[in-house]
Amino acid sequence: MSAKRLSANRAMWTQNVRQIGWIAIIHLLLWLAAIVLPIGLSYSQYDPKVGNVPQWKNVYYISNGFETLIAWLVPILAAAGVLRYMHEKRSADFIHSLPIRRTELLVGQVLFGWMLLIVPLAVTALAAIGCLYGLDLPWPIGAADVGRWFGETLVMETVIFALGIVVGVLVGQSVMHVVLTNIFLVFPAGIMVLMFSNLSLLLYGFPDTYYLSSELDQWVIPIRYAMLTNQALSAGEIGMLLLLSLLFFGLSIWLYERRPTEAAGQALAFSVLRPLFVYGVAFCSWLVGGFYFGQVEREWGWIVFGYVAFSLVGYAIAQMAIAKTWRVFHRWKGYVGFAATMALLCLLVRFDPTGYEQRVPALADIKQVYFGQSMMNWEYPDRMGSSFEEYDQFLRTKDNIKAVRAFHEQLVHDQPLPSRFGNIQPIVIGYVLKDGTRLIRRYEVPIEPYMPYFQRIMGSKEYKQQYYLLLRPGGYSPIRQVTIRNVETGWAEVVLAEPKEIESFVQALKQDLWNEPVEDIIGGGRAWQGNIELLQSDGDSFSLPLDEYNLHVRQWLEERHMWEKIEK
Amino acid sequence: MIQLVDVTKTFDRFAAVKGANMMVPKGAIYGLLGPNGAGKTTLLKMMAGILRQDRGTITVDGEDVWENVRVKQRLLFLPDFVYFFPHATIRQMADFYEQLYPSFSRGRFTELRSAFSLDVDQKIQQFSKGMQRQAAFWLAFSVQPDVLIMDEPLDGLDAFVRRHVKQLLIEEVAEREMTVVISSHNLRELEDLCDIVGLMAQGTVRMERDLNELRAGMHKIQVAFRGGFPSELAERLDIVHREERGSIVLLVVRGEKRSIEETVSSFAPLILDVLPLSLEEIFVYEMGDVVDVRETVVG
Repeated sequence: MSAKRLSANRAMWTQNVRQIGWIAIIHLLLWLAAIVLPIGLSYSQYDPKVGNVPQWKNVYYISNGFETLIAWLVPILAAAGVLRYMHEKRSADFIHSLPIRRTELLVGQVLFGWMLLIVPLAVTALAAIGCLYGLDLPWPIGAADVGRWFGETLVMETVIFALGIVVGVLVGQSVMHVVLTNIFLVFPAGIMVLMFSNLSLLLYGFPDTYYLSSELDQWVIPIRYAMLTNQALSAGEIGMLLLLSLLFFGLSIWLYERRPTEAAGQALAFSVLRPLFVYGVAFCSWLVGGFYFGQVEREWGWIVFGYVAFSLVGYAIAQMAIAKTWRVFHRWKGYVGFAATMALLCLLVRFDPTGYEQRVPALADIKQVYFGQSMMNWEYPDRMGSSFEEYDQFLRTKDNIKAVRAFHEQLVHDQPLPSRFGNIQPIVIGYVLKDGTRLIRRYEVPIEPYMPYFQRIMGSKEYKQQYYLLLRPGGYSPIRQVTIRNVETGWAEVVLAEPKEIESFVQALKQDLWNEPVEDIIGGGRAWQGNIELLQSDGDSFSLPLDEYNLHVRQWLEERHMWEKIEK
Repeated sequence: MIQLVDVTKTFDRFAAVKGANMMVPKGAIYGLLGPNGAGKTTLLKMMAGILRQDRGTITVDGEDVWENVRVKQRLLFLPDFVYFFPHATIRQMADFYEQLYPSFSRGRFTELRSAFSLDVDQKIQQFSKGMQRQAAFWLAFSVQPDVLIMDEPLDGLDAFVRRHVKQLLIEEVAEREMTVVISSHNLRELEDLCDIVGLMAQGTVRMERDLNELRAGMHKIQVAFRGGFPSELAERLDIVHREERGSIVLLVVRGEKRSIEETVSSFAPLILDVLPLSLEEIFVYEMGDVVDVRETVVG
């Protein structure tokens, strides 16, 4: 680049400093307030007698939510600032009449915008290190933590900024720029949530939570930033984010070379994107409508209303944004086509050509079944047995496999629509087949009509044994002490420490657990009369309720005249 | 020299410029005339490298304008609504132009200070519309471009400033052989300024004429003959328009002045006067085939 060309960029930079230099100042002040100020405050509040050193594990602990907000919003502001010139008609004409090539112009603007991010970050990092080493306090964090924060925050801000630049080249209005950049930030995770939760409406038994529970929220960069408190960016993530940033920058240059100047003031810079935008917005609104009414009403009339109403509004808003007028109602034909297509698509899924809903494995193929109310143990079988009451279990006995399969077949046959009222139990049914295939479904089932099915499974010896920690063979260490506390006061009313007494008490307790009806396990709304606390030899303790079903325990206590203490 | 060949530009479905051709010789002042919506602004913005044509070529001295820094450094565009950076002063804008245009002259900038008498340190946006336009002219003349493209530049200027700016423009063209393209919807505004006039309507340049040639090639004469207008004379003259007031006949005739005089004299007229023909009148007769546009431009 010749000296003259440098001077062209210098002219733009001088102008940028005047026009959007304040973004750097805001950025710096925000970071100082989020990180350096709390360090200073902690120092001034420190009392050596108390030893109140802040409990920061890293820089993200200092003011997590605030930090996330800065790292999320300022890069978008910077992108909007450096590309503002192409979003306003007169300035777009002016700047594009100047003797600067577009690539050169955009690279200059992007570099300037990046300076708005990196310089305040660097100053903040230096200030934070200065404070940590200058102010004499046993700080829990040091320069390495600040370094990590600087690097990760720079990467995150860079990728959001880069996304902002691509979106900025694609649109022709600053408002649209900011709105769309935010939408694109949540888009990858958002569209998955919407698609899966709508599939679960259309396909009976589709386990949306199974697909949604895994690391989906990490795809949303601001959420990933908030998670930095306990989960540093891996080298792979950093590489991917930087690659993504480069890709975004490259793409924006390619697009900018082709972007018509007259796009300034238009919603979208490229006319080919308009139908994509209009129908994309309509599609997403369609899904949102289904998602919302699926969660709130669970009734087909309302869900269809949600589909139509939301997508119609979305379609109209998108058309208004494109046409820049309220009067878009003559463009209804496009919507009719869209709605017809969507209806066909939904019907197709609903008719389930692959037989997804009806698929119940043959008894002979099943190695084991999974029955519970969440996917947790299905996804992480190694965590099984970690809770006192294990709702979600793998079952292997023939009887239980048959029982679960029978329940599944009945549900597939009945397809009960859960009403908004009444008792509903989420049911997860999974199969591990002998050939290793896995299959999982999730249902929301009204409890009363299906109680016999629940009883057959959950009342089984296998289920109960795995359900209670106390019934699991080797599930607990020897009990050293039993304490029965008053539920309201928490006072220990009965304390057993004598091994023989404990042994006979635990036997009585186990009797009660074996006899506990399934309604009680599912319902859970029982009145506690006391709290049985069992202290194990390893120092861990666990509690069980003392309630109306504890007939053997009660009898045991009455025989020893201890019941009166609890009764009173 | 600026040349446009078969230039077309469509916005969405609206064709603003449809196969326009245009030629501006070096050192000429070219007036682009046309009613509102004729596509003048679009054409000028393409000429300035702001908009990209869908089809056709736009060259300055044989080089494409689009994305061509070398050409754009020698070319300046003055839009119908002048633009300055928010909060910028004239001094700041001058610094900006100086860094972008190698031909920018500090000396010229200082020299013109007295001509415009604007405060260089006041924010331009605080100026009135007319003052802002003056500021734009000041900066444009300081850049000393080889090609100056102006979209309706004289709108909103008072008569005094208008004359002054025209004067400066003519000087600049005379001294540096600057090429100027200037658009207007009003012929009268361009009358004493342009060498060439192009008439634009519905997205095309309908005709392009050298004004001096036009002036030399059309004349208004007033004649009277004893015994009425000889029909033989009518055949020998290229009469564009004929009007009779009693025995006096008023003619607008195409051709060289001397040969017209000689031809008429040979019929021994009682009266023969050659009257001045205004540009407006020339246009009215010249644009016989573009009647639809005539009224708006000439009116």
